Amino acid sequence: MNGYAIAQIVWWLLLGVLLMGLAVMVGMDMGVGASLRYVGRTDTERRVALNIIGPHWDGNQVWFILGGGAIFAAFPLIYATAFSGFYVVMLLLLWTMILRPIGFEYRSRIGNPAWRGAWDWALVVSGAVPMIVFGAAFGNLFRGVPFHFEWNMTSFYTGSFLGLLNPFAVMTGVLSLAMSVMMGSLTVMNGAGGVMAARARGLAQLAGLIAIVLFAIGGLWVHSMPGYHWVGGPGPGIPQTPLQQTVVTSPGTWFDNFGAHPVLWCVPALGFAGMLGAILAARAKRSHLGWWSGAVAWIGVIGSAGSALFPFMLPSSSDPSLSLTVWNSSSSESTLLWMIGFTAFFVPLILWYTGWAFWVMRGKITPEMVEGDEHAY
Amino acid sequence: MINGTVVDLSRLQFAATALYHFLFVPLTLGMSFLLAAMETVYVTTGRPIYRQMAMFWGRLFMINFALGVATGLTMEFQFGTNWSFYSSFVGDIFGAPLAIEGLMAFFMESTFIGLMVFGWHRLSKGQHLAVTWLVALASNLSALWILVANGFMQDPQGAAFDPTTMRMHLTSFQDLIFSPDAQSKFVHTSIAGYVTGAIFVAGVSAYYLLRKRHVDLAKRSFRMAVLFGVLATIGVVTLGDALGFVDAKAQPTKLAAMEGLWKTEEAPLPLNLIAFPSQAKQRNYGAVQIPAVLSLLETHSLYGTVPAIDALERQAARQVEDGIPAVQALEALSRNPQDPAALAQFDAHREDLGYGFLVQRYAPDLARVTPAEIRQAAKDSIPPVAAVFWSFRVMVGLGLAMLAFFVLATLYSLRNRVQEKTWLLKLALWMIPLPFLADEAGWLVAELGRQPWTVYGVLPTWMSASTHSVGYMAFSLIGFVVLYSTFIAIEMYLMVRTIRLGPAEPGGPRDRESAPRPMLSGRPFAAAPQVAKRED
Amino acid sequence: MRSFLYFLLFMVVAVMIVVLAAILGDEGAWYFAWLIGTTMIVLVSAAGGAMLDATEDQLARRQGGDPAGHG
Repeated sequence: MNGYAIAQIVWWLLLGVLLMGLAVMVGMDMGVGASLRYVGRTDTERRVALNIIGPHWDGNQVWFILGGGAIFAAFPLIYATAFSGFYVVMLLLLWTMILRPIGFEYRSRIGNPAWRGAWDWALVVSGAVPMIVFGAAFGNLFRGVPFHFEWNMTSFYTGSFLGLLNPFAVMTGVLSLAMSVMMGSLTVMNGAGGVMAARARGLAQLAGLIAIVLFAIGGLWVHSMPGYHWVGGPGPGIPQTPLQQTVVTSPGTWFDNFGAHPVLWCVPALGFAGMLGAILAARAKRSHLGWWSGAVAWIGVIGSAGSALFPFMLPSSSDPSLSLTVWNSSSSESTLLWMIGFTAFFVPLILWYTGWAFWVMRGKITPEMVEGDEHAY
Repeated sequence: MINGTVVDLSRLQFAATALYHFLFVPLTLGMSFLLAAMETVYVTTGRPIYRQMAMFWGRLFMINFALGVATGLTMEFQFGTNWSFYSSFVGDIFGAPLAIEGLMAFFMESTFIGLMVFGWHRLSKGQHLAVTWLVALASNLSALWILVANGFMQDPQGAAFDPTTMRMHLTSFQDLIFSPDAQSKFVHTSIAGYVTGAIFVAGVSAYYLLRKRHVDLAKRSFRMAVLFGVLATIGVVTLGDALGFVDAKAQPTKLAAMEGLWKTEEAPLPLNLIAFPSQAKQRNYGAVQIPAVLSLLETHSLYGTVPAIDALERQAARQVEDGIPAVQALEALSRNPQDPAALAQFDAHREDLGYGFLVQRYAPDLARVTPAEIRQAAKDSIPPVAAVFWSFRVMVGLGLAMLAFFVLATLYSLRNRVQEKTWLLKLALWMIPLPFLADEAGWLVAELGRQPWTVYGVLPTWMSASTHSVGYMAFSLIGFVVLYSTFIAIEMYLMVRTIRLGPAEPGGPRDRESAPRPMLSGRPFAAAPQVAKRED
Repeated sequence: MRSFLYFLLFMVVAVMIVVLAAILGDEGAWYFAWLIGTTMIVLVSAAGGAMLDATEDQLARRQGGDPAGHG
């Protein structure tokens, strides 16, 4: 194992961390958005919900942008192949995501109920759709994606848009939505009182329950589907193109990594424990504890997917041997090392000032505050 | 094979979304530092009017900022969705500054902007000022990394092609970030943003002064904006000159197109002030020239010359011929990465690999390339001259007009005679669209002038696009047009409405700051901490 | 003692800035110019605002009125 291979693994782990950050931070805002019209029944209630995440949604959203940027820098082939292959789905994601900044910023600037109602729906859609797409993308990784390369690495996607919305991917999409609604509801419980907190409490438990069931079904489903198995090729730490390896598919192989390293079973266990913890904490009205449990659940779920897939990142169903792995799709050693340096310096800094921002804006939001403040959303 | 219509539609979509994004970005870059300036005066002098100013302009800033963020999302993902070959080919280098932008700048900007808006009473004066400065710094650092990435497309420094991975690899991070093109382009663009912000604030202030509303606020804003603007405009022009000087070496075809230089001439070269270039005839019609000025501008010497299009085309033809064996060797290496003969052939011709790609558009099988195809590829190496020539003149003309306006406005503002000069105030109002036009024209010069390359001299545009169907491209293009048109209509409406409404005057009906009510931004500093508290 | 420690701290910071600025000035002269230029633009603009207040205060004192800008 040479330095380049270590850098590749470190970046695979860092990407996992960034995706977890994305899921936790963006997921909570999306959950608040997706459940906006249920948790908030009046205009003021909805404004309370929006203002709970108001000072933070913008910063949280950067996890999403950073996720994109990090894939681009560390695994350019994944960025190029996946984003172009998932074209229509990516557009859905983008178009719903770009509604959000505008929804937050413009919704409450005009008092007209029709205007506000329209933006509320926009926020619901822009909360739900990206989370479904995010989950469905992960689901499709297990199924493999129909793409292949020409001699010079031009990629061609040969599937249809509907092929990306197969039953398994839809299920993982709903799992992701359920987890984000759970986190969003716990966030509302953190920041609001009274009837809103009560509604959010019920929703958090329901969403948590759905998530547990779907995560369990997902595990069984993955066990029964054909998995990808790396047979040979240049391997870790060697500059290469995806044209030089051999990969086969056979049922059950997605669990090979768990068989080889039983300690990995802790990761899905963490997912289940986190979801269960979040439900129980919501029940006990300990929403902060619940929020942190939910974050742990995300770590478990994304960690489980990563543990099963490793070293695959984007398997090709057209020709399994063209599958993109950690070894054949990463950047050069020099880029990976520079980016490890920047990440190691800036991510702790980001966590620190994000924590400070949350601390400054701590406390409950009340209807009076929202109505009394010209700056409120 | 790659479909030319798809490439054209991808280019159209990229240009449309980038130009749209670039309507909002410069205002953010400039206004953020103007807000910092206003708040600095507030904190140092303690006069509340400056806080009122920072808050009011902050509201307009946020309306603009929301669309900047929203449309920026598209840009971050569009390289992958629509330029997938480009992304995999240069992601090793190009992706890094984009990721660093997120890590270093965008996170900081977005996190602190929440505190800037909501934190007025929760932070001490000094803390809030620091937050505002950080937002301004971060938004410009964000521009820095984006333009480092763009600088790589204009003048690929610090990278080399690796035939084992079939991609470009980073060879020197320092060369990448300190590339002269990246440096001068960043400073030019950032300061162009300052000019945009200054014109906007001066124009809106002039609107209030004309109507004699919010006079105290407006005349202070006007004064600060014009001083800010006059210095910034001087900076933009200086850096524009520096950029031309850099381009003369790094991107001779862009420079030749900007100046409409068809035929090689002896120094000193005259400047084409006005001309109507014809790409087909390779000449200018109706040229109005100033002797010797071009040599002075581009080489800072009377005896310097820059290559003209005829010479550049001849050189490109030679490079195409040299690039063909490089591409052929690469095809052999794709089949067998260890092929020693192919490696040797590749190494002998690697410098011109990109030119080999350029001709592959016409000759997919390079073994059967014809001299006519090579000539065509060489012609392709010249960007669309008329478009670049005129975008450049629009940008420079508007820049000089703004410089003249700012000099005049500074003069009257410093004499405290702005309010009497209604013609100047009216002029200021009409100046508002100018910087936006100039910014867009500047983008066109930079990116049209880079054609036919996505990475100058290395990767042609025609290869870079994703292999989508025309139907997909039509779908996405229509989607963007519908969404973006709706957004701009809403944004303009809210902007105008907020400006008409004006700032909340102290003691007025909309002054919630001094009302004894609990506020989101004004909850007591020592509110009970939220951490792990039971909800009941 | 406390002042002395602060002095040491800021001295270290100052030396670091000198080193960083020297490197930046060498490698990226335009970046360096941007830092200095931006600071100058912002501060000149701020001084312009303060100057307007000063002139108005002077004017108001001469006329015996209430200085503006204290609203």
